[in-house]
Amino acid sequence: MLQLVADGLVVGSVIALGAVGLTLTYSILRFANFGQGEFMTWGAYLAVSALALVLAVTGAGVMEPLGPFSFGWQLIPAMALAAVLTAAIALAVDWALFRRLRRQGNAITLVIASFGAALALRNLVQFLYGTLPEYYTREIQIAIRLVPRDVLGGLRITPDQMLVIGLSLLLVVALHVMLARTTLGRAMRATAMNPALARVAGVDVDGVVRATWVIGAMLAAVAGVMAGVVGQVRPMLGFDLLLPLFAAAILGGIGSVWGAVLGGYIVGLAESFSVPLFGAEYRAATAFLVLIGILLLRPTGIFGERA
Amino acid sequence: MTPALEFSGIEGGYEPGLPILRGAGARVMPGEIVTLLGPNGAGKSTLVKAAAGLVPVWAGRVTLGGRDITGMPAHRMVHEGLGFVPQTENVFANLSVLDNLKLAAALVAKRRRRELAEMFALFPDLDRQRGLAAGRLSGGQRQMLAVARALVASPSVLMLDEPSAGLSPKLVGVVFDRLRAVRDAGVPILLVEQNVKAALALADRAVVLVEGRERLEGAAREVAADPRLKALYFGAHEEAA
Amino acid sequence: MELIPALSYLAFFLVFAGIFAVMALGLNLQWGFTGLFNVGVAGFVAVGAYASALLTGPPEPDRLGGFGLPVLVGWIGAMVASGIAAFIVGVAALRLREDYLAITTFGIAVVIQLVALNAQAITGGPFGIQSIPKPFADALGAGLAWNLTYLGLVVLVLGVAWWALDRLVASPWGRVLRAIREDELAAASLGKRAAAFRLQSFVLGCMLMGLGGALYAHFVGYIAPEDFLPVLTFQVWAMLIVGGSGRNAGAVLGAVLVWAIWSVSGGLIRGLLPAAEQARGAALQVVLIGVLIAAILVLRPRGVLGERATVSRHAAGD
Ligand SMILES: Nc1ncnc2c1ncn2[C@@H]1O[C@H](COP(=O)(O)OP(=O)(O)OP(=O)(O)O)[C@@H](O)[C@H]1O
Ligand SMILES: [Mg+2]
Repeated sequence: MLQLVADGLVVGSVIALGAVGLTLTYSILRFANFGQGEFMTWGAYLAVSALALVLAVTGAGVMEPLGPFSFGWQLIPAMALAAVLTAAIALAVDWALFRRLRRQGNAITLVIASFGAALALRNLVQFLYGTLPEYYTREIQIAIRLVPRDVLGGLRITPDQMLVIGLSLLLVVALHVMLARTTLGRAMRATAMNPALARVAGVDVDGVVRATWVIGAMLAAVAGVMAGVVGQVRPMLGFDLLLPLFAAAILGGIGSVWGAVLGGYIVGLAESFSVPLFGAEYRAATAFLVLIGILLLRPTGIFGERA
Repeated sequence: MTPALEFSGIEGGYEPGLPILRGAGARVMPGEIVTLLGPNGAGKSTLVKAAAGLVPVWAGRVTLGGRDITGMPAHRMVHEGLGFVPQTENVFANLSVLDNLKLAAALVAKRRRRELAEMFALFPDLDRQRGLAAGRLSGGQRQMLAVARALVASPSVLMLDEPSAGLSPKLVGVVFDRLRAVRDAGVPILLVEQNVKAALALADRAVVLVEGRERLEGAAREVAADPRLKALYFGAHEEAA
Repeated sequence: MELIPALSYLAFFLVFAGIFAVMALGLNLQWGFTGLFNVGVAGFVAVGAYASALLTGPPEPDRLGGFGLPVLVGWIGAMVASGIAAFIVGVAALRLREDYLAITTFGIAVVIQLVALNAQAITGGPFGIQSIPKPFADALGAGLAWNLTYLGLVVLVLGVAWWALDRLVASPWGRVLRAIREDELAAASLGKRAAAFRLQSFVLGCMLMGLGGALYAHFVGYIAPEDFLPVLTFQVWAMLIVGGSGRNAGAVLGAVLVWAIWSVSGGLIRGLLPAAEQARGAALQVVLIGVLIAAILVLRPRGVLGERATVSRHAAGD
């Protein structure tokens, strides 16, 4: 019981982080970006390469685990580098594709284009890295028993998993502060509300769009690396998370950061609890049920205002 | 004297081949309020939106204090000193009153940035609602916020699209009173209005736009007395020409 | 050059192009004529393929069916099954903003893929369903004659579908559909009825996709979950975009063109790359086609044939 909650929160944290990026791009760029999952995949794989680079440059060879975690400090710069590179990919795709389609003025063409771009990005990963899973480290971690077995089935969790929960919360809080307190954040919220008014108020909307891609892609990359830390790095990593991401973002209400976080946890928990009920093989269908449920009951989401 | 804002021969519209503006012109001199009148659908909103960079201009020129700003991206015009308050949805409903103003202030260069306190002094109603989401303001407060949002960037000209729409006569009086104060503080105003009588009472000069062209122009008092004004409004503009 | 194998391959190629064309016609009804964005094409195709396979296949001890029914019954069953799936999705998503339909159809395709993979008792799991009857194969064998016969069947189905769609689009029903698409005011004034029209168009389109799936199943003779991956959705979209949506001729031409590009590039990769690199080569093929589609979207948004914009007007952003 407790264990299911913990597992759900770990998965939910990854979903939440991806969904926050999705909800941000959705509300500002005004289209459902099917490529968001692929940014996670790219982030995870780029971190594999960046890690090899960092290890080569520092001459460390193998990673010494950092404290209780399975990975060494080298993963941190590698993750940062991967996030930057993922943002560059997002900007490049926007420049080559979405920017031009935005000018044509058709919102839904962007969705098709993002679907095609997602497929291309996913297959490019497969082409470059192959289909076998990769790992940041082969270190086996011992799970810590937080709650003894006789209390609600007990609870064991690895330091890595705790880190995932903590880091995702930290990043979301940072994003929230950025959106609430900085000029860029206000400009982003203003553009999401009313792009034309934003322009006559002096907002450089193209700049806001670029910033949005950068932030959304970096969040996705970090989420991808975290998914890789607690699981494996696979070409389908992001694709498999795309439906949960959408479900979480819609559940929370498009544009709402905390809604996406809550949505992420709910979807993560629902997935986790579905395993004993329907079996692990149907776990991925849970997000769809959540999605259909919210669309039927409250399509604006929990915190949503705009229909 | 150089006009604070001048349109000449503006042609433009929303879709290629469907002109809404057909050679429209108007000018605002320093220190005056000019009201832009005309029947529904005449293209008044389109003209000010075109000037603000929201609608493509196919031909003609917009100059701000003598500088050509035609075709400049909308946000750059703000830095150049053009203030614009659209007709509808003219505040960021999801941002608080304070955030609406903070954003607008932060976006322009320091020398243009006005103190928020000045705005709250001009619009005391807003002061009491600082933390409220702008979407929850009353109609009148919303117009005040929209004007304050434009003013905080110290524009050299302010264009307002129907600030009196949907307000009670009493509130119209209050808003117009504020506009007079703004003009007296040195910001010339181009005021699009449906509320002909009140607008002519407030304005120094008036321009009447019909089917995308100006058809009548002059001192507000003269335009108010001109028999052609009614004719233009009631579609009998052929005889009026 | 040997004639028989070449002809046989040509027939094989055209059968596939024809099957894709049926699916593309369905998508064209949804997107080209109604402005509905369906990202779950592969799912609806799969439902049709499995339904027909179950209805017509020989009995299997450890699986539901097959019921050994005539192939024609299988095809009708395929359309019904896909139609029901479409109805469920449509009811949930069609009354909402249009991109929610995209997300929901994406979701249903994922779920259908999961069911195909895991519901062994119905779908045969990862191994899929074998020995799906090939119509007239008893009389004609497996060679050129059968290929040509099946090609005839596919062309017949395609012709009927095209003709029916043409009639439908020209009918009052089609005119209302166009009005809804072109004019938001008209759509709003129709209110609930506009939603019903959209739903009908969506269900009809998915039924064609299901029929396409059934045509595929009975041509190849076996189906497995990996036949219905998202790349299939992408292929059908590519066909519609390349041909130009809003015209049935565009959908059919696009199907032939894209399938030709796909086959040739696939053949090149098989020919040029060593066996160990084939999987990566296939991935590269998808990347290249993806880039091609993106380029067409950007440079020739109306497709190679299309006079109308690929995208319906009501879908335009604010
Ligand atoms: N976004 C738009 N897209 C296409 N056409 C538009 C758009 N907005 C306005 N129009 C058309 O442009 C013409 C002029 O409209 P505009 O809003 O400029 O008139 P107006 O003089 O401001 O009228 P009102 O007094 O009613 O505000 C009208 O025919 C209108 O239908
Ligand atoms: Mg107007």
